[in-house]
Amino acid sequence: MTAIQTLHILNKSPDHPRAAQCLELMSADDGLLLIGGGVLLLATGTLPTATRVFALSPDVDARGLGNLSSNNVSAVDFAGMVTLSLQAQRVISW
Amino acid sequence: MIDQPPYGAWTGREALDMAFSLAAFDQPASLLFSGAGVNWLRQGQEAGAIGQKSVEKNLSAAPIFGIEAILADRAACKTFGLDESSLIEGVTLVDVDAALLTDYHHTAFAG
Amino acid sequence: MASNTMPQRNNEGFLEDARDWTEGVAAAIAAEDEVELTENHWEIIQFLRSFYKEHEMSPPSNRLFVKAVKEALGEEKGNSIYLMQLFPGTPAKTACRIAGLPRPTNCL
Repeated sequence: MTAIQTLHILNKSPDHPRAAQCLELMSADDGLLLIGGGVLLLATGTLPTATRVFALSPDVDARGLGNLSSNNVSAVDFAGMVTLSLQAQRVISW
Repeated sequence: MIDQPPYGAWTGREALDMAFSLAAFDQPASLLFSGAGVNWLRQGQEAGAIGQKSVEKNLSAAPIFGIEAILADRAACKTFGLDESSLIEGVTLVDVDAALLTDYHHTAFAG
Repeated sequence: MASNTMPQRNNEGFLEDARDWTEGVAAAIAAEDEVELTENHWEIIQFLRSFYKEHEMSPPSNRLFVKAVKEALGEEKGNSIYLMQLFPGTPAKTACRIAGLPRPTNCL
């Protein structure tokens, strides 16, 4: 697995214009980390398929979405979120 | 009317509080969830992980306090993968259109 | 009750940590309002504690407290006179304080 170029941290729910913009600007070697209202993207079935997707577990659990995390989505805790941010070449917080 | 997702901001909780207060004075009040707001109505929320109270559990007090109805926009539920099996009890699916809103004297958005 | 056995409370006498609640603590808080807890008090206290467990909130106001009691225990107990006799002052506030729940948000 190659290093993540840009980690996109998305905390906006899928109906927010910035969520659409984020998904549009992602490249295949980027990573998408869903936090806060951003985890609702797990429910809409519109996850990007070309990029690696991570989701912050406490936020997933809070919204009752634990059973929707598919194989394509890696659950991370707060420590995992920090690690991801450090490993990525760049971070964009949407 | 709540069209914001749960837990991100306080506006939705304020709307809930307002509806409860109306009910306390026996004013007929209903809650309508639309857009990302329908995510308030998903079963199995474990908000302890983010240090908040579960809006799902808070909402379950609505009928006790005399809230007339909890309505959810059918199309938004579909967008967010919500159906009868994943929605909390007591939710009525509706189509949000002009006709629906004419049934209410006053409609206010949260936030 | 000696201060070393009374858990930490806020400036209005509500417990800082709900886990500190015991029946003894309830009795001690009640004594401050000159209330001696009877079976009728305990019935409401137990009701409030289970209400909190289910809904993760205290009834936010006095009126809603009365409504909730009425819904659960009937008109005879779900009326403000009965509850005021048991829990003087603002019944919702006094009862929540004794039951170890957070302060009702809309009670002045």
